[in-house]
Amino acid sequence: MNIKEIKEMINLMNDNGLVELEIEKDGMRIRLRKMAAGMELQSGPVVIEKEIVESKSREVSESMGKPAVKTVEIKAPMVGTFYRAPSPEAPPYVEVGQIVEAGQVICIIEAMKLMNEIKSEIKGKVLEILVDNAEPVEFGQPMLLIEPL
Amino acid sequence: MFSKILIANRGEIALRIIRACRELGIRTVAVYSEADRDSLHVRFADEAICIGQAASSSSYLNIPAIISAAEITDVEAIHPGYGFLAENPHFAEICESCKITFIGPTPENIRLMGDKMAARATMQKAGLPIVPGSTSIVKNKEEVIKTARRIGYPVIIKATAGGGGKGMRICHNDIRLISSLMTAQAEAEASFGSPNVYIEKYIEKTRHIEIQILADKYGHIFHFGERDCSIQRRHQKLLEESPSPAVDGKLRKRLGELAIKGAKTVNYINAGTIEFLMDQKRNFYFMEMNTRIQVEHPVTEMVTGIDLVKQQIRVAAGEKLNFQQDGIQIKGASIECRINAEDFENNFLPCPGKIETLNLPGGPGVRLDTHIYAGYEISPFYDSLLAKVITHGNNRQEAIRIMQRALSEFTIAPIKTTIPFHQRLLENTLFLKGDISTHFVQDMFKEETGAEE
Repeated sequence: MNIKEIKEMINLMNDNGLVELEIEKDGMRIRLRKMAAGMELQSGPVVIEKEIVESKSREVSESMGKPAVKTVEIKAPMVGTFYRAPSPEAPPYVEVGQIVEAGQVICIIEAMKLMNEIKSEIKGKVLEILVDNAEPVEFGQPMLLIEPL
Repeated sequence: MFSKILIANRGEIALRIIRACRELGIRTVAVYSEADRDSLHVRFADEAICIGQAASSSSYLNIPAIISAAEITDVEAIHPGYGFLAENPHFAEICESCKITFIGPTPENIRLMGDKMAARATMQKAGLPIVPGSTSIVKNKEEVIKTARRIGYPVIIKATAGGGGKGMRICHNDIRLISSLMTAQAEAEASFGSPNVYIEKYIEKTRHIEIQILADKYGHIFHFGERDCSIQRRHQKLLEESPSPAVDGKLRKRLGELAIKGAKTVNYINAGTIEFLMDQKRNFYFMEMNTRIQVEHPVTEMVTGIDLVKQQIRVAAGEKLNFQQDGIQIKGASIECRINAEDFENNFLPCPGKIETLNLPGGPGVRLDTHIYAGYEISPFYDSLLAKVITHGNNRQEAIRIMQRALSEFTIAPIKTTIPFHQRLLENTLFLKGDISTHFVQDMFKEETGAEE
């Protein structure tokens, strides 16, 4: 994000009388908060939190208003194309918020025209799906974030 | 011409291929193991895909991972470099069936020349002299003794699926031959997956002379002169040069014609090297054919002015080779020193580690092909080649002088490298005279330390 974009966000807030605005883009999250009503936003602190998606296990930060949570990344064991469902018409294997068991199939990686079922090694709750359907993945790339239960 | 190529290799050769692609306007995809995450070839490629863990079997030899990476990046061709999958006919076939062009010869070329006995038989039929040896793989003790007596001791046991100097055993008599046979077969099985061995007459004091050839898909084949690769240790090349001090224009023409004839016989396509052994009486014999771009290709590039890797890519893209054989001239002389991360005073023990201080050689007449940088961590998973220093001068003496100067500038600390070994080699009187053979390094050590190395 550059200064032009941030200025645009500030204008957006002022035009609409917003007190707080949070935007996430390209792995970076910016939150703008007016310190007190009637004050110019430029004098208020601007809180910028940069999130690196490839971290091993991270604590979800406090500014999100939730307590810290341990997460485990499910990484791609091979190179290929990531699919959320066994076929285009079928429902996805998992959704965010779903509880998965150890050994449960969570996605498919297609490599050389072969569909490989990828299983979760742990029991837990799916917090985030990091790859879009039909996107390529490389070896070791994190695909899902799971909160172990 | 291709718009995107995947390089199925690492280290200096991956960089070499990326450079050729850049100059041809071709986008590049690098593949890497977890251990090579910070490699230069990963940084310089347009795209990079992690394909597996450090072990070669999980990464650079992992055919499904590489083909998968090629598919998701939508490349049109794969350059296999040297080593790894470069001479794997199965890999070349899979590329073909996935409609990805393999930048190299056909699977049939690779398969035929990969079987050393079949290659010998094929070249003999084409009219090339071959080293006297067994006409079929060794089946039993009685038969091998008979063959050895027929061709005359000393003999050397070689693996038919082999290469790179592995699994070879020199025998001077029947007893040694029998005792070595079983170990040679076991080694061959372990290294190449096949216990089949054959024997050849072992010619002492030979020079290793190889001819570079290039063939397009339309039957045009050219040779680019010879390289003398006699400076070897345990059959691993250490220093190569072109032209050979033992080859004159007439002999070059003869060897070149035979090499082209051999390549034509097998309908060879793309770059290849025909290796000959030459004895002290200038008798030469076909030894084997390497169906890939070789480590030492730069010395040929320096003396001919031709970019062999670019030509490989052009041939694979279906272009015609535009040379005239008479127009290919050897100008001046070139030498290459392979600098390895090895402690040459300690039996060439590999020395992985981090490069803290680096000063690279430069100046006129110096070419450096390397993937190292200050802070680079040399890992223990792959070969110990750090850099190739190549010099080019108006004649052999000048090329040597420039190499001596360049090596004195080359600092890689605190890693133990073979730079001091090469410096010693370049001061040796016999080497300076050009009086070398494949025994040279061995003899040099014996002379200096008084001990068998």
